[in-house]
Amino acid sequence: MTCARAPTFCPFLKDRWMLRYLRAFALLWPLLVGPAMAQEPSATLLQDVLQSVQADVASPSRSTVPVVLRALLTADAPGTVDFLRAWSDREVYERPGDGLFFYAAPAAGELTLIDIDSGAEIATVGTRDVNQIRPNAGVRREIGAALVAFELTHPDPDRRIAALDAAARSPDPEQIAAIRAARATEADPAIAVRMDRLIALLVARFDPDSTTRIAAIEALRGDVSTPARSVLNQLLQTRADFAPTLPADVNVAVVKTPGDQITLAAAYDVLVSAGLAPAAPGRNAIRDVLRANVTAGAVGGVPVHQLNTDANRIIAYQALQDAGTVSPLVTEADMAEAVAQYVFFDVYLEPDSAVTDAARAAQDSTTTKVALFQFLSLSFDALSLASIFFLAAIGLAITFGVMRVINMAHGEFIMMGAYTGYVVQTVIPDYTASLAVALPLAFAVTFLAGVVMERLVIRHLYTRPLETLLATFGISIALQQLAKNIFGTQARPVTAPDWLAGAIQINDLVSVAAVRVGIFIMAALFLLLLLYILNRTRLGLEVRAVTQNPGMAASMGINPDRINMLTFGLGSGIAGVAGVAIGLVAQVTSEMGANYIVQSFMTVVVGGVGSVFGTLAGAALIGSLQKGIEWFNPANTLAAQTYMVLFIILFIQFRPKGIVALKGRAAGD
Amino acid sequence: MTTPNRSFLRDNPSVLWFMGLLGLFTVIVTILSEGMGAGVMSTNMVKILGMTLCLCLIAIAMDVVWGYCGILSLGHFAFFGLGGYAIGMWLMYARTEIVIRDNLAQGAIPATETEVAEAVASQIFGVVGSSDLPLIWTFAGSLPAQLALVVLVPGLLALVFGWLAFRSRVTGVYLSILTQAMTLALSLYLFQNDTGLRGNNGLSGLQNIPGALDVPQAVISVWFFWASALALGLGYVLFAWVVSGKFGSVIRAIRDNEARVRFLGYNVEAYKLFVFTITAVVAGIAGALYYPQAGIINPAQIAPIASIYLAVWVAIGGRGRLYGAVIGAAFVSLLSSWLTGGGAPNIELGPLRIIWTDWWLVLLGLGFVAVTLFFPKGIGGLFDYLVRRQP
Repeated sequence: MTCARAPTFCPFLKDRWMLRYLRAFALLWPLLVGPAMAQEPSATLLQDVLQSVQADVASPSRSTVPVVLRALLTADAPGTVDFLRAWSDREVYERPGDGLFFYAAPAAGELTLIDIDSGAEIATVGTRDVNQIRPNAGVRREIGAALVAFELTHPDPDRRIAALDAAARSPDPEQIAAIRAARATEADPAIAVRMDRLIALLVARFDPDSTTRIAAIEALRGDVSTPARSVLNQLLQTRADFAPTLPADVNVAVVKTPGDQITLAAAYDVLVSAGLAPAAPGRNAIRDVLRANVTAGAVGGVPVHQLNTDANRIIAYQALQDAGTVSPLVTEADMAEAVAQYVFFDVYLEPDSAVTDAARAAQDSTTTKVALFQFLSLSFDALSLASIFFLAAIGLAITFGVMRVINMAHGEFIMMGAYTGYVVQTVIPDYTASLAVALPLAFAVTFLAGVVMERLVIRHLYTRPLETLLATFGISIALQQLAKNIFGTQARPVTAPDWLAGAIQINDLVSVAAVRVGIFIMAALFLLLLLYILNRTRLGLEVRAVTQNPGMAASMGINPDRINMLTFGLGSGIAGVAGVAIGLVAQVTSEMGANYIVQSFMTVVVGGVGSVFGTLAGAALIGSLQKGIEWFNPANTLAAQTYMVLFIILFIQFRPKGIVALKGRAAGD
Repeated sequence: MTTPNRSFLRDNPSVLWFMGLLGLFTVIVTILSEGMGAGVMSTNMVKILGMTLCLCLIAIAMDVVWGYCGILSLGHFAFFGLGGYAIGMWLMYARTEIVIRDNLAQGAIPATETEVAEAVASQIFGVVGSSDLPLIWTFAGSLPAQLALVVLVPGLLALVFGWLAFRSRVTGVYLSILTQAMTLALSLYLFQNDTGLRGNNGLSGLQNIPGALDVPQAVISVWFFWASALALGLGYVLFAWVVSGKFGSVIRAIRDNEARVRFLGYNVEAYKLFVFTITAVVAGIAGALYYPQAGIINPAQIAPIASIYLAVWVAIGGRGRLYGAVIGAAFVSLLSSWLTGGGAPNIELGPLRIIWTDWWLVLLGLGFVAVTLFFPKGIGGLFDYLVRRQP
């Protein structure tokens, strides 16, 4: 605890009086740290301390704040931190009669005064009976600085972390000492690590000794965290400049050749705005000048009606120029000549070239790692999207694959499932329980809907696949409008329970929403379940038999009617479950089904009809493709979808049967 | 089927009937119209009827490609929209140019061509935050060029897409899904602001015809009604001629058994490609007549759902008969706009109240299922039944 640290604690090094004052204040430093660590019971009342500096508390100014702080710290009364915060937040009131200070709570247009020491309610007064103390911005900043030091040594670790985060958000050279001091007494190893990192970042940016800084910068190599990268960016900030010759005393980042790194016009504009070259009249300027100089139906000898081409306008302008009435034209050659007299360059704000070189090297080595992590993040996104596509499409793969029935109402089954999730949540307020109820219920509802639809409509159209498409489309229109009539056009939420609400943060570049991980796990479970049903159960055996050869299956004693019904129900039921899952990440509207139906068909067709693994492959391909295209053009998801559909159209040209094509008799048609 | 001593008209009695009815209808509408006749019928009604005729035209095209050739295309409304965009570009550009030239003429000196072009571009594209004229608008100032594009853009798209699809033997539901994907891709593409067609704002003010800006809408609506009726009549004759005769037999055979036709030595792909392309061109022309009457075109109207409604009209009207498509399109689209436009009275059933705007689509959907299940021949089948009963 020496004097050397004191200046770094307080940001008011403006005048010499301050400096002198601070020497004294530095002696208080231990006390600043002290109260939080020791927490010795003190008999001193805060009110008494405040009364000793009453005038300075009541009307604080930048010059008087340190007086108050010193008084408070010396006395070390309980509740000092709370008072400082309240003071800064304009929550302290002064009673004019006796000059006592109070906290206050608003009560029906009046204020209930609260004793600063005991917290007891004293009296209720009108807002005009007390003076609110309003420290200005400068004062508040200084109180804040004092608070940071308090907070960094606060017994509550959460408060210490919050203080560190706040310091990291607004980095400032004065913080180094405060954090170092706090670090010396920090007991929690996790917080100590964070403090070390913050100190390293601050040193890299602000330390006066360049060797220390370079060492700190070297330590940032390969650190992909946002603060570390932003420190490097800050160090490498540049500003554009120009001079007749390249100056030797500045840290030049890059020399810009006109016409290459900087356009001729831009370089010339720089000279114009510096007052070193005459402004070049542009097309609009020429027009305005000509307009202003029309005399007797002509400008500079050119009749007005001929001024409808740029060439004639320039002739007229040159006539005016020769007469000396207007500023001269600037040709391309004039510009080049003017620009050639100067060197244009970017200069680092940081004057020390050793520091910027180190920062540049550190940044370069980080870039590869950043790209790698970004790719990882993109892969997670793609995986998440693929699992949603898979969930949406797998039901379709079953109905389409087994029965060759195009179910255009599949999207509406997804919607039904999502609305089931919403309705269940309105009945059961606990999100975890409602999700547990909604998943099986959505399956049951859409299973039934699927079976009813199969019995009533699809059964009659097995020989006419195109008409199934139309009939199920009719059902889809009706269901969509029905949902609109019941639930309205407003989007309804399906809220994820708390344990699914956050994100899993791997580092500053890679984080995955927990709900998406949940959907991925669900998709994986469904894949396993489906594989089990299809390959290991009696039902699966019969389904496969009907898929491969319905006639033969029937003659072996399998009832194709029953199998078709169950298969259709199964496919629809899975759509319902998918709906609940999709509802967690997207809005539930009556039109949501339409958003997924085309994508789902694409997934099935690209993957290969009638194969679970094909659908998986299709979903993976389409998901990663969409994310990949989005990455090239991040602002435009519409473009990504457009190009994806185009890709699929082309893909089907080369593999009409999809990625996983069934072979032999099962391939059908 | 056609032998030299049998005439086209005797083979297709519906053509004469249809032309007669269409002519009569045109005369009646003209007489009743506000712009040319008694003024009993509002301008808006004339426009709705004119647009309905355009929808009938695309429905015929759809019937040929689906009802006769068996290709359930879910992309023909995209061709319709492209035709509309092609003509809309000229309408919007030429009208904006006239307005801009009038404005610039107020200045002390005349404007240069560059200035006019820049002002037009920033006027049209200001809404999507751009002021440059995209490349595809190069010919927007020329009516003949844009009229050619009305035919060329849908035609070329259909040709390329159809060639790719038919070449790799994509048939049946796969083809339907593929055409739907094409429509989806196109509408998503047009929804983007930076593709040069004003994103989801679409093109607007198309009801103002450059060169006829002083003519009242009441008169213009009748002109367009005539044009639509003429196009529908010509389209009907064209397609009636296409589907009768040997060519018609071949495409019907393709619909019924594609493999057998191929084995008989016909180039199935060429036939399908021809039908697909020519119907796309007709769809484009129908769109070019429709949107000046509608006044606005935006990507939402190209969305896959529109093409599916087209299939619904044709199915309800009756596939495989041209007049069926006309009946279906006219009946369903007029009924739909009457019921959803609040024209129909709500039905009070005690505590229950049937509001048509809410329930029409449910009814349409279920009705469509019923038609598919029980009346595969649609309304047109009814005519067959009546005609056959005659001695």
